[in-house]
Amino acid sequence: MQIRDYILRRLMVLPVLIIGVSIIVFALTRVGGSPIGVYLQTGMTQEEVTELEERFHLDDPLPVQYVYWAGGVLTGELGWSGVAAAPVTDVFLPKLAATMELAISSALVAVVLGVALGTFAGARRNRLPDHLTRVFSISGAAMPLFWFAILLLIVFWVYLGWFPIGRSDPNIYARIDHPTNLYTIDSLLAGDFGAFGDALWHLVLPAATLGYGATAIIARMMRSSLVEELQEDYVDAARAKGLPERLVLRRHARRNALIPTVTVIGLSFGFLLQGSVVAEIIFRWPGLGRWMADSVLRGDQATIMAYVLFTSVLFLVVNLAVDVIYAYLDRRVVLGE
Amino acid sequence: MIRSKRPSRLAALFGVLLALAMVAAACSDSDPSDTTVSTTQGTTDTTAGSTDTTAGGTDTTAPATTTPGTEISNPGVFVHAADDEPTTLDPAQVEPGEGGETIILQVYERLLEIGNSGPDPVPSLATEVPSVGNGLISADGTVFTFPLREGVTFHDGTPFTADDVLFSWDRAMTMDLPDGAAGVLSDTVDSMRVVDDFTFEVTLQEPNAAFLNAVVPAMVSSIVSQDAVEANGGVVAGEFNEFMSGNPVGTGPYEFVAWNRGEDLQFTIFDGYWGTPAFLDLRVEIGASPDIRVLGLRAGDYDTIEADPSFIGDVQGAEGVTVDGEGLTVEPIHIGFNLKFDPADLPDGDRIPAGFLNDPRVRQAFNLVFDYNAFVNAALGGFGDFNPHYIPQGIFGYDPTAPVYDQQDLARAEELFREAGYWDEGFSISVVTEEANLFEVAALVFKDSVDNLNNPNMEITVAAVAEAVFDDAHASDPVPYAMWVKNADPFADPSAYLDSYALPDGEWGEIHDFRAGYADADRVQTLIDSARIELDPAARAAILAEIQRVLYEDPMWLIAAQEGVVSARRDWVQGYISNPLWPRPSIKFALLDKG
Repeated sequence: MQIRDYILRRLMVLPVLIIGVSIIVFALTRVGGSPIGVYLQTGMTQEEVTELEERFHLDDPLPVQYVYWAGGVLTGELGWSGVAAAPVTDVFLPKLAATMELAISSALVAVVLGVALGTFAGARRNRLPDHLTRVFSISGAAMPLFWFAILLLIVFWVYLGWFPIGRSDPNIYARIDHPTNLYTIDSLLAGDFGAFGDALWHLVLPAATLGYGATAIIARMMRSSLVEELQEDYVDAARAKGLPERLVLRRHARRNALIPTVTVIGLSFGFLLQGSVVAEIIFRWPGLGRWMADSVLRGDQATIMAYVLFTSVLFLVVNLAVDVIYAYLDRRVVLGE
Repeated sequence: MIRSKRPSRLAALFGVLLALAMVAAACSDSDPSDTTVSTTQGTTDTTAGSTDTTAGGTDTTAPATTTPGTEISNPGVFVHAADDEPTTLDPAQVEPGEGGETIILQVYERLLEIGNSGPDPVPSLATEVPSVGNGLISADGTVFTFPLREGVTFHDGTPFTADDVLFSWDRAMTMDLPDGAAGVLSDTVDSMRVVDDFTFEVTLQEPNAAFLNAVVPAMVSSIVSQDAVEANGGVVAGEFNEFMSGNPVGTGPYEFVAWNRGEDLQFTIFDGYWGTPAFLDLRVEIGASPDIRVLGLRAGDYDTIEADPSFIGDVQGAEGVTVDGEGLTVEPIHIGFNLKFDPADLPDGDRIPAGFLNDPRVRQAFNLVFDYNAFVNAALGGFGDFNPHYIPQGIFGYDPTAPVYDQQDLARAEELFREAGYWDEGFSISVVTEEANLFEVAALVFKDSVDNLNNPNMEITVAAVAEAVFDDAHASDPVPYAMWVKNADPFADPSAYLDSYALPDGEWGEIHDFRAGYADADRVQTLIDSARIELDPAARAAILAEIQRVLYEDPMWLIAAQEGVVSARRDWVQGYISNPLWPRPSIKFALLDKG
């Protein structure tokens, strides 16, 4: 099957999958009872509760409620977030941007550090630098995220006062426009380097926390791959040609060692998105993770459904993209079979 | 041989740019709050008793003493770390006790305000507190006249007149939102009229002793800018106003700047304020968990934090932090007895004999079983006290000589259970509560207390559930549990408590069917009705004292404690004043300064 036909076929199936997932999640969120609790206030009369149920269609049968929700999605209405006290559509994109900014920054930290440390250790196999790097890497993987985050807070926020928490200095944040809601990008677009520095300054602690965990995995993978590559014949050949060790490492061994490492980097991004829930709560980062955690605890169904819809679409699209890329990279893969 | 790799030029350039950008951020001069200054004098908190003749103008605080070398963070802006995010900033929509009330208190004003200490109202947008003596209350106690302050402007620049008062109150009652508190007005007010631009008159449905200190200063009675509302959606019955929900326009000392959801609320000093202006801009930070609030206070990033007694151990003794626990909240933590439960709704395993909770001896016995000392001294860290049914300490009419359930008496409790005939039969009751907070602790203390009766037939199960699940159960009628734990709504007047929590046909009286349980429901009804309409303070206090004694003998609640007001703030905060009758955290930020 041609790649184009395969993509079209998958795209046609995509809505069916999304509807299926949304029905399952819609039903699951109701296992714990009606979501009316998130809208209730102490001391409401029964009449007032009934009025709220009517307003949000919670007095209708479950399938009818689902149809209302799905109809809303088609018209761009994802419902009212009781937690954010605002329409979900108004809140979702800014929070998604905040989460993505944190996840990407963490990934940058993890990739740069992980590849560098892995290379450093792999090139010095079984020597002191290798052992020290191993300790550093394993510590990152072993330490609970929340504990490491609080440790950083106590040291660098409370005692040293070097780095703040939150996403921005409110006054600096307010002085620029936010067309993308990515603070770093918006500050550069505005040409405001003070704001850019503020964005980076606020990113340091959460990105270091999240990135450190992922650094460990990437560094270990990079180190193992590099050790293997350095034992390959082509490396001996390169050395025999008289290439300096630095070039052998950079031009030959490291490039090949990066191939399995890139796979791990891709997987690590998922870890970073998951880990952002903890980091966002601890560092008061206004992203999707913290919003979702609050929403789950308070039974804010509109928010949960919007998040699930988003992750479902993301997952399905990424899966499709991966299939296509595999087929492109490896011609032995036959799509659709 | 491996040679160490040198950083590329690009990496070096990036590093330099990064460093420059961060330096630029740190040194940005866009706002004074971006910098940190050193003061030669820090402060220790001194709360002066203020002469509180009006809410807006004449608070005076003693000059603060200082500690050399203290560095003040965020100069020019007062930073408070709040517990939760408001759901609305509209007085017509906000629920009593909800986070939005904290903001409405700062941005809006009312005709009268609760003063800096005690429950008495003081003039605010009205220039006098009406009384029979000054002729502003009619002889029959139903017509109240408010002379209004001239020269007041709203944050949008429009002038304040009596029309705005009429509009604001009428608006709240017309919208009548289920999540709001319009009933505070509509249950009391019969009619209103504008006498002239600066005179407003209200006629009540019946004399109401609570009107001046519970209705007029209530957040729902805040005065909004008529122009701002009409320019942004107007008033629609039964529908909230999205603009006003997020954009408060009042006359208070703070002018709203921004609400960054999940991050902060920002306010600036209102230059056109009629009274003493605020000392500093205000930023209310949202979303910090309790641990982070404590760390932020210790780091100096927060000047005050929303705290409760569980915070004390974390901040007491910390450098630069002042902690005190003077005063009590007016939201007693109580266990409700539901006399109207449907057995079919109860959790599996619950076994409750017929008529069990209807027997006053049973309810007395439960009140004698509870280990009050364990709850107050352990769970609340000593920051709390006991109070009688059902008028909290600090509220008019509280009678310190009235009998109180404040000691565990297992022997007497057993006697009462035996007299009532339930000792041998026993019971198994699930007590529902929100998980992971003081209410759950109260439920667990209750369970332990009942276990200490050493009667295997008497069993309490604590059903600690998520907040949303609890809210659902709590708002049901009938409540699907025989007992539940929460705290009371705060009020400034005893009649509001009694109407909600003691009146046979009142709010909870109907939901729990108090009438089926009171030994003499009509007497309770008559006493509470009398207290509500009695305008003579001495006579009213006597009625309230009697009510407290009646409710001691015939309790409809087990009141675990009245939680202490705990304040945790930086040493540099000056002029700290707190009144538990103000919405949590019981602070007016405009009164506070930093060294």
